[in-house]
Amino acid sequence: MAEYLPIFTMLVLATLFAGLSFFGSAMLGPKKPTRAKEAPYECGIVPRSEPAERFPVRFYLVAMIFVIFDIEIIFLYPWAVIFRQLDLFGLVEMIVFALAVFVSFVYLISNGALDWGPVKRMRPAATAPSRTSDSTVRRIGRAEEAA
Amino acid sequence: MNGLPMNGLPMNGLLVAQAGQPEGLAPLELPNVEYSAMAPHLILIGGALVLLVWVAMVRRRPPWAWAAFTVAVGLASLGASWLMWLDVGRNGPRTAVADAVVVDGYSIFFMVLVSVIVVLGALMGESFLKREDIRGPEFYVLMLLSSSGAMFMASANDLVITFLGLEILSIALYVLAGLDNRRMESREAAIKYFVLGAFSSAVFLYGVALVYGATGSTNLGEIVGYLQSSVAPANGVLLAGVALLLVGFGFKVAAVPFHTWTPDVYQGAPSPVTGFMAAGAKAAGFAGLLRVFFATFDTLKLDWQPIVWVLAVATLLVGSVLAIVQEDIKRVLAYSSISHAGFVLIGLQAANEKGLAGSLYYLLTYAFMVLGSFTVVTLVGRKGDARHDLDAYRGLSARRPALALAFTVLLLAQAGIPFTTGFLAKFYVISAAVEGRSYSLALIGMLSSVVAAFFYLRITVLMYMSTDEEEAEEARTEPLAIPRSMAVVLAVSVAFTVAFGLLPAPVIDFARDATLLI
Amino acid sequence: MADLAYLIPALPLAGFLGLVVLGRRAGDPRAGWLATSAIGLSFLATVATFFELLGQDAHHREVTKPLFTWIAAGGFEVKAALLVDQLSITMALFVTGVGTLIHLYSVGYMKGDEHFARFFVYLNLFAFSMLVLVLSDSFLFTFLGWEGVGACSYLLISFWFERDTAATAGKKAFVVNRIGDFGFMIAMFLLFTTVGSLTYKEVFEGLEGVSHAAIVAIALLLFLGACGKSAQLPLFVWLPDAMEGPSPVSALIHAATMVTAGVYLMARVSPLLVEAGGALTVIAIVGAVTALVAAVIACAQDDIKRVLAYSTISQLGYMFLAVGSGAYIAAVFHMITHAFFKALLFLGAGSVMHGMNDELNMKRMGALRRWMPVTGATFIVGWLSIAGVPPFSGFWSKDDVLLAAYDKSPVLWAVGLLTALLTAYYMGRQVFLVFFGEERWRREEQDGVQGNEPSRGRPEDRSEAEPPAEGSHSEPHESPRLMTTPMVVLAALAALGGLLNLPFGKLKFLEHWLEPVFEEAEHKLSPGAEDLRLVLALLAIAAGAGGIAIAYAIFMRARRTAAFQPALLKRGSGGFDDLYSFLVERPGRVIANFTAFVFDARVVDGFVNGAASVVRMGGSQLRKVQTGYVRNYALGVTFGAALLLGYALLRMGI
Repeated sequence: MAEYLPIFTMLVLATLFAGLSFFGSAMLGPKKPTRAKEAPYECGIVPRSEPAERFPVRFYLVAMIFVIFDIEIIFLYPWAVIFRQLDLFGLVEMIVFALAVFVSFVYLISNGALDWGPVKRMRPAATAPSRTSDSTVRRIGRAEEAA
Repeated sequence: MNGLPMNGLPMNGLLVAQAGQPEGLAPLELPNVEYSAMAPHLILIGGALVLLVWVAMVRRRPPWAWAAFTVAVGLASLGASWLMWLDVGRNGPRTAVADAVVVDGYSIFFMVLVSVIVVLGALMGESFLKREDIRGPEFYVLMLLSSSGAMFMASANDLVITFLGLEILSIALYVLAGLDNRRMESREAAIKYFVLGAFSSAVFLYGVALVYGATGSTNLGEIVGYLQSSVAPANGVLLAGVALLLVGFGFKVAAVPFHTWTPDVYQGAPSPVTGFMAAGAKAAGFAGLLRVFFATFDTLKLDWQPIVWVLAVATLLVGSVLAIVQEDIKRVLAYSSISHAGFVLIGLQAANEKGLAGSLYYLLTYAFMVLGSFTVVTLVGRKGDARHDLDAYRGLSARRPALALAFTVLLLAQAGIPFTTGFLAKFYVISAAVEGRSYSLALIGMLSSVVAAFFYLRITVLMYMSTDEEEAEEARTEPLAIPRSMAVVLAVSVAFTVAFGLLPAPVIDFARDATLLI
Repeated sequence: MADLAYLIPALPLAGFLGLVVLGRRAGDPRAGWLATSAIGLSFLATVATFFELLGQDAHHREVTKPLFTWIAAGGFEVKAALLVDQLSITMALFVTGVGTLIHLYSVGYMKGDEHFARFFVYLNLFAFSMLVLVLSDSFLFTFLGWEGVGACSYLLISFWFERDTAATAGKKAFVVNRIGDFGFMIAMFLLFTTVGSLTYKEVFEGLEGVSHAAIVAIALLLFLGACGKSAQLPLFVWLPDAMEGPSPVSALIHAATMVTAGVYLMARVSPLLVEAGGALTVIAIVGAVTALVAAVIACAQDDIKRVLAYSTISQLGYMFLAVGSGAYIAAVFHMITHAFFKALLFLGAGSVMHGMNDELNMKRMGALRRWMPVTGATFIVGWLSIAGVPPFSGFWSKDDVLLAAYDKSPVLWAVGLLTALLTAYYMGRQVFLVFFGEERWRREEQDGVQGNEPSRGRPEDRSEAEPPAEGSHSEPHESPRLMTTPMVVLAALAALGGLLNLPFGKLKFLEHWLEPVFEEAEHKLSPGAEDLRLVLALLAIAAGAGGIAIAYAIFMRARRTAAFQPALLKRGSGGFDDLYSFLVERPGRVIANFTAFVFDARVVDGFVNGAASVVRMGGSQLRKVQTGYVRNYALGVTFGAALLLGYALLRMGI
């Protein structure tokens, strides 16, 4: 067990530090909320409306595509370092891997992940054609009742 | 298969690469990747990729063609599994890909099971997707990928591979649960499943790390070697690791107290996905669990048996008791699936050969029962996949006698009525428990099957009750159509349940022959 | 040899399958005829087999006919086979015989029912399951038949499931029976682990190596199963409610055949029971107490079928009393005669209901013998038989049972004798109320007449049948020939059934026939008891006559209705009546009512319902854990993980 002692010590210390910080700031910090302090922007801009809650989902999609290629690079880098030692085996494996990533990329593009603006989409909208303003109103009404 | 791993390190490409670095250009001992050892897995993954490319490239995309393609892929992997079964029967079991993957009766058993689930799941999904107007091939692609994860869990000979399989299985399932993203419940189910699933995966990974710390390897074979050679095999770190592995597996198979996600996710997920989850994910979870506990930690039997006993009892009781108070068919089936997990745990707790065979038999037969049941649920749910209160089943026999009869058979089979596979499955695991001298567990199992019979019966009685005027009217205006693909799933599952309940020998032999390598 | 035996269960199965396919198309009444011919042919096959066995030497009458290997997996092998011996063929004879008659009757009784064909599907399936139960050579297949008859019983009780009471009764029967099955299942597991086999033959041969405690446990667990199926204390609650089913079902399943399966099982495992000494006493006591309690409750029932239901429970108690006393032959003998007269009585009750527009309350009947001569006459035969009046069949079999009980313990005998008296009383009451006295159904207003059960006819007739007090009550009428013919046949059997086993030397046919089966198990009467036979028989006759006399005094001589209205009582026709009611009837009624409503409804029902509500409550409490918040779920997983880790650490002693 002895070899794990540093880990445990670290664990305990980290927990203690985090806990004590919370506790300490809660105890020590004076609480004098003013309007200015509670405003979303403390730099003096007076918000005229609530901040927007929604981003277009494509922002996330692009971010995810970026992550996918990031990961591909993470794998490619060590492979490139010992490329010669790995020989044909490494090449084949890497081609398979790159192919799989590429297929998902093709899929994303076909789904319009990189199309911006109201372009003609290859896939129909996700909302059902049966959905009308009526049904939406009803749905929201229900949600409000429940709330 | 070439060579033993160096320095006691498991051999897979990346780790080897690191090990080779100091010498610069020293020749690396590369693992021999036998693709044939993973043929069914690769067929499923390949099928998924082909489907993706197909959708991206071809403009005309009739959805039935995707379903047909998925069925074909499933059948191909079934065929590949069958060839492997014959091969193992002739040449005996072996390990492959640097001992990371094992080809034995056990893994092939699950390959067969998962392939069948893919075929039936695709058939179930086709008309559902059309009805709900969910376009795109995602359902099939994700199901294929998830299934390949399930197969990896069954054939993993290394805890890292098990984890890999677990993640491939789970991540696809998270998305599948949220497939019907117009329904709030579906999204909610996906998020819940994802958050909790990630949590339990982390716990599992921690368990793997502890086991590695205690034994010096993640390879199951080497762990066994270590446990056999070491004088005092059990130590705190190892046991803690085993306990955390059990948490991870327990989450996947919905064992109490790791079951909390089950009712909400089963209820929220689209009905065919729930069926796939109940049949496939449960089987996969148990595939990993049974292999790791039966084969690898067999020597620690006396340590884990009591805790599995507790889990089994809690699972049996909570599952069957809570099912009684549910008013939603999908929740009822969710709790019933929890209680079925309890029965499989009985087989594990027995920790003998019969228990293993019994558990396998249970999983195989349960897969058919639950897929059939969720087919009925999908159909009765109607457009919008929302009519799942038990009242929707009132008077079903008058409107759809064949459907009601099929559901009755499947429910009675789940209740364990003789002449169905469900009875034999319960009989098998309970007699394994008796053989293992766990009399109390056998008793509790029987007791819970008595309690469980009640709610299966309740649904059956509801179906045969008369409808009132209003419902009769509704039945006229909104007729319950049964698409052909659904009918096929129902026919197959009912036929399997009844036929092998009457003549069980082939399936029992299949389960019994699916022995572990180690 | 005995190749026809295969046909015995195969024919009803064929009938069942045929009806499943053709049923609706065949319709009313062809489906009924198909079913009847299936079981009728099965009866003929049984008779043929019986004669074939009769032609053999007494010790070569046991044949095992293999069917197929059901499960062959590893060391676990189950073969299906028929065991044809004296006991099983006797049982099969009356199951198919009485079954044929009741099928025939049902063709008339169910005429015009919406689900006519389905009814016969169930009946044939029942006959098949029952024959599997009887003819199986192993516990496992007996159990399968056992479950099969249970399922059919459930389906048939709730046959008119549109009625809530019928659906509830069906559920109750199912749940209570599962408790019994539970015992049976555990017994099987114990047998399998201790002996390693489930066929009767191998089990009985392998008993030597088994500890006494295990044998007693197995015997008692099997008895628990028998208690559920044969409605013995404390599991009898489902049988009275089972009367919600159509009358032929009550006659076939809940009187003649299925409920005797428990007795049959006990007889089948007699070699095991004989090793389990103490268990026999338990069986005898439970049987005697059930017989008495059920008889007392029967005295307070106004529903024509419920009286018969409690009477069935009581008579089954007799059979268990006989089994417990080691008199298996007497038990089988009583089982056969009971099948005759109780089926007859139920069919009679069905015929009365048929003629009375589905009236069930005996207080709204009376003097029916004038309108229904055949029903009346046959019912009276059944009554005399069950009341133990010689020379009717019930007398002979009951006498054998009481003699055996006396040999076991005079106390048990006394309980049996008291029950005999009560039996004669309540059956007398029934007969006098229904077939004699005033035509109460003519009365315009039903003042003060309150049944303890509402009318329970067919659902579709109900709106017309109610209220019966409209004044437009149609005249009762005799049932069609199709229904009366089986009753006449059964009446003949009930009258003459005693000939099977007259207690005089060579005339003990049944005893000689069954002797090889029970060779070791049958308890030999002590010489003292044998000498007392005549005295005991006279006492039994006296008890029967006494019961009838009391019923006559109350319900005929005094012209008192059973309504027992306080006003009527005060008016009082004579001092004797008042005194009598004060001294005898009132306390008796109080006790009977108490038993019926408090003990039965509160205690026993309470127990069953209580168990259900405990489960339900526990469920709703546990349900609160399911909050729907992911954080709580994650906490649950963490809690479980902590528990497991804690265990692991504890295990290492850290």
